[in-house]
Amino acid sequence: MASLHVRVVSPDRIVFEGEASAVVAPAWDGKVGILPGHAPMLSLIGSGELTLDRSGGGSEDFHVVGGVLKVERDMVTLLTEYAGDEPPKDAPDPEVVFVDQID
Amino acid sequence: MAGDADVKRRIKSVENTRQITRTMELVATSKLKKASDRVQAARPYADALQEIVGGLYSPALSEKYPILRRPKEVSRAAVVLLTANRGLCGGFNSNLIKQARNLMEDLRAQGIETELHIAGKKGVAYFRFRGEEITTEKVNVGDSPTVDDAEAIIAPVRERFENGQVDAVYLVSSKFKSAMSTPPHTRDLLPISGDENASSADVYILSPSGDMILERILPVYIRNAVYTALVENAAAEQGARRSAMKSATDNAGDVLEHLTRTYNRARQAQITQEIAEIVGGSAALE
Repeated sequence: MASLHVRVVSPDRIVFEGEASAVVAPAWDGKVGILPGHAPMLSLIGSGELTLDRSGGGSEDFHVVGGVLKVERDMVTLLTEYAGDEPPKDAPDPEVVFVDQID
Repeated sequence: MAGDADVKRRIKSVENTRQITRTMELVATSKLKKASDRVQAARPYADALQEIVGGLYSPALSEKYPILRRPKEVSRAAVVLLTANRGLCGGFNSNLIKQARNLMEDLRAQGIETELHIAGKKGVAYFRFRGEEITTEKVNVGDSPTVDDAEAIIAPVRERFENGQVDAVYLVSSKFKSAMSTPPHTRDLLPISGDENASSADVYILSPSGDMILERILPVYIRNAVYTALVENAAAEQGARRSAMKSATDNAGDVLEHLTRTYNRARQAQITQEIAEIVGGSAALE
């Protein structure tokens, strides 16, 4: 089965690198799902849960805040300001800020 | 034998110095390891960001965004200098300061006004002593710089560029080639020099749009350039300190050897003289 090679990168480290069968990411305007064979895409990221379905079953969740997502030839790269198991404390909600800017 | 006691005291003092420099060398070595790990860890983000910005950039956009503007004539440039907060790291700080001074002299020779933005106590102290005006300064960046540190340094500069108060921004910092080689390096931060022929934006689905993504990502790109420079600078500082302290320790060893010889020779001479006196004395009695 085809799989996605996923990298989640924050400025100071690679948070996750590995294979996944599906990715659900919090894009700027709502969740976006990515399966193998997805067309090349660049999208802004808002704030929320990033879910990676592992190829061998099970899934991994991260909380990400802001950044950009790139999909190309089954390579998914998510550059984010923050990624961790928990939402960051005392951070402004970039989704709210960003949606205001869009209008 | 006042000379004797003197030499002995100096031996003690050099021994103490060697102890300290050796400890500093060891501390720098362990900090260097951590710092160079951070340099490695910061690379994937920087590379990926570079790729995205390079792919999206097109000259037509520069009309729209102040951060992308390309002034036809540069009348005022900002020099952002990153130095260490502490000394005892050989020529590290003075090399950086010299690089910044040369850059400023070059710019002024071309009739361009300059302004200084400095992070690091050593740079601030030097230029304040010289009576240069420092536009912004920051002296609380630690051994492990954060993204927030980078933002705090560059935010005012970026604003000045967007407002048109400065037309170019240069970043002076140390490149971390290896622990032994940390040359000072000048980077043109703004205006952004995009890869003119690498526009691959057409093949992507862009959400919400190329412009929007650029607008959000460019400040991050600039900030990350500063962050990378800070991290490299921190590693370079430890590398420079390790080399400096290693040669200080070696030098202390040499001085110690020389002093010990002097001391032994003096002691030997004294004993010889005393024997000669005793022999002379007993010969006189016979």
